[in-house]
Parts: sequence; C-alpha cells; structure tokens
Amino acid sequence: MDERTRRRFVGTAGGLLAGLAGCLGDDGGGGSGSDGATTTSGLVGESADVTFDHESATGINDQPTLGDRDWQGVIVAFEDPSCPTCRRFDRNTFPQIRSDLVATGDVAYVFRGYPVVYPWGEPASHALEATFARDPAAMWALKRHYFDQQDQFSTDNVLDRTGAFLNGRTDVDGDAVVADVESDASADAVQTDLDAGQAAGASGTPTFYLFRNGEYQTTVSGAQDFTVFENVLTG
Amino acid sequence: MVRLPTRSADWRLMGRTARLVVTIPTYAVVTLAGGLVALTLFVGSLNVTLVLDTLSLPISAAAKAETLLSLYPFVGSAYTSVQGGLLVVVALALGVNVAMLAYHFREHGLSLQQSGGSVAGAVLGALGAGCAACGSAILLGLLSLLGISTSLLWLPLDGLEFALLALVVVLLSTYWLADGMRGGEIQGCPVELG
Repeated sequence: MDERTRRRFVGTAGGLLAGLAGCLGDDGGGGSGSDGATTTSGLVGESADVTFDHESATGINDQPTLGDRDWQGVIVAFEDPSCPTCRRFDRNTFPQIRSDLVATGDVAYVFRGYPVVYPWGEPASHALEATFARDPAAMWALKRHYFDQQDQFSTDNVLDRTGAFLNGRTDVDGDAVVADVESDASADAVQTDLDAGQAAGASGTPTFYLFRNGEYQTTVSGAQDFTVFENVLTG
Repeated sequence: MVRLPTRSADWRLMGRTARLVVTIPTYAVVTLAGGLVALTLFVGSLNVTLVLDTLSLPISAAAKAETLLSLYPFVGSAYTSVQGGLLVVVALALGVNVAMLAYHFREHGLSLQQSGGSVAGAVLGALGAGCAACGSAILLGLLSLLGISTSLLWLPLDGLEFALLALVVVLLSTYWLADGMRGGEIQGCPVELG
C-alpha cells in the first residue's frame, strides 16, 4: 500500500466513522462526541508545514486545518461567522467537501476568520481563535454552532452564548475563552487573517483561494457549488 | 417632467408594447440573448477571476463547462431560489428592454439618452447579483470607498435590495421606451389602444 493509497484508506475510514458519529448527534451542531467536533475528529490534527507563494496563505501553518496541508489540493477559506452566505455554504457545500475531498485525502481545508459583515462576527472570530488555541476540534464545533444558530446571535449575546456552548458541549473552558475575547488575547491572530484576506483581495465572505500541488489555481467567491471545488482541485 | 407608470393604462401600454416587440421572431431571439448575456454578466461579475482562470486550468473541457455552468442560479448552489428567481426575472426584463431598445432604435430612431435606464438597470442587476450571492461583497467595497464603517452594514434582504432596485429601474426604462413609441405601430398594430 503506497503512501497515497494508505492516506486515502485512513481518510475514508475516518470519514465513515465520522459520518456515523455525526448521525448519532442530537442536533448536528453540538460539542465533542456528537457533532462537528466528532465529525471532524479524524481530520483534525497535525498538518505538515507548507509554503505557498500567495498572500492568502500568509501564516497558513498556524491556521485551523482539516486534513493535511501538503495534500494535492488546499482550500484557504475566509469566512465570517455572521455571514448568511457563509452559513449557506456551510450547509450546502462544505459537508460534501469534507466527505468527498477532505476525508478521501485529496484536499485540505484551511479556515481563516474574516469578520467583515455583522458586528457580532468580530467577537465570534476572536472566540474561534481562542478556542482553536485550546482544542482545534472544539473550534470546528463552535464554527458550526455559529452557522447553525446564526439567527440567534447578536453583539449583546455572542459571548454569553459562546461560553455556554463551549462549557456545555465541549471540553473547552468557555469562561476562559470569553475572558480571552474580552482581553483581546486573540487580536493578533484575528488581525493576521484580516491582513491576509485584504492583501489577497478578499472583498467579502466567503472567499476561497484554491491551491493544487502547492500552486495557486484561482479564487472563488460566494456559496458556490461543490463541483467548482472538485473540478478545480481534482478535475 | 419625468413620467412614471402610475396608472393601470400605463402598465397596459408597457405590456402591450413589450408583447408586440418580443413576438417578432428576431426580437424574441434578441430578448433571450439579451437576458442570457445579462444573467452571465450578473453571475460572472462576481467571479471574474474564477471564470478567466477556469478557461486556462489544466482540466478537461467537460470539467470547465461544468464549473462555469454551476455559477448560474438553479444550476449551482450560489443562490437561494428567491435570489435566483429574482435574478432571472431581472435578466429577462433587461432582455425585453434591450429588444425594445433595438426595435425603437431601428424603426423609429432613438436618442442615446433614452438608453440610460437600461444601463442603470444592468449595473444595478450586477450589484444585486453580487450582493445576493456574496452577502455584502460589493457593498463593502463601495462603503469603504466612502469611508463608511462596514460594521454599519445591515441589509434586511441580504443584498436582494439591489436586484429589486434593478427591476424597478428596468421597468421604468421599459415604460419610457413604450411611452416613446406611443402613437406608432408595431407589425401593423397600434401601440396604444383607445
């Protein structure tokens, strides 16, 4: 079994287990053990350091990543938790990317917060960074929670709801994450993403930069179809 | 003084004139082609880089075609059914508008001033497509140029406001064209009845 085949097998097995675990979840958006954290658990972990000659990839090795950044394809996604179009992408396209491209070992998905739409997206992006620093799987669960419950969030309640979700549905200390947001502890990480997006020319969210074999391929804007990503990265 | 279609007779005039023009085979083709071009411009303006890069990517022709087609509403997932429906309606209205413009220009002569509404409608349609598909992408750029904080951005219809505005502008332009053709004949039929 060569390296490529082995990675595919591991990825597929992980995807199948993850899919099963996801089906057992109560609301599909909760914490570790029953949700996004579990559905991505086989895909979250150590990822190779890479160097892509593109502004969107600045600091890419420190970013939340599903899969391995040295795989054939890499999607660098700039998303805002408060962006309705990002939510639509998260519901319509992202699950298939995860199951058909990431879980198969073909494409890695790199998340970068880009809070430019509604005001509550900024503290939410800080919370994602603070959560990622503690537990990457919990960050993916929190991101999914933001999209699943997007209509419920506002500037006034985003920290309370974030803390409650993390405390109740993950192993991460939600109060500590909220304290980090209030003290701007993740400001540098958020600013790094904003700087990268602006330098790359991301004029809104979601915006995706696609790489194949380390080479930049194109930029995708909006909640585009799965076929766009599949064709560009594996076609 | 600018006339607005405030009476039901104005809307009947607009509908009758449009129907007379688009039932001429040549102008039916112009309508459909104009609508398709408008829709292509709407969706393509949002992903110019992707469209251009796709043409040169080392992927099969079928994959290229599939990628480009998936950018359209109801083919891909970029738009909700409401957004997609509205964009198709705006594009078709613009196609009718272009057909009437072409007819009026060829048959009656026309000042360039009268085409201003069509251009405005096309621009607003593109804005509508952009905002509908990308939340606030284009608006963010425009607002930042004006120095307005992007955190003030709040669009209750998630950007569809621009598409609706485009529809209004195109309908106004169509009305003014029909109004300009009042008293004339299309295929031997009087534009205005009664």
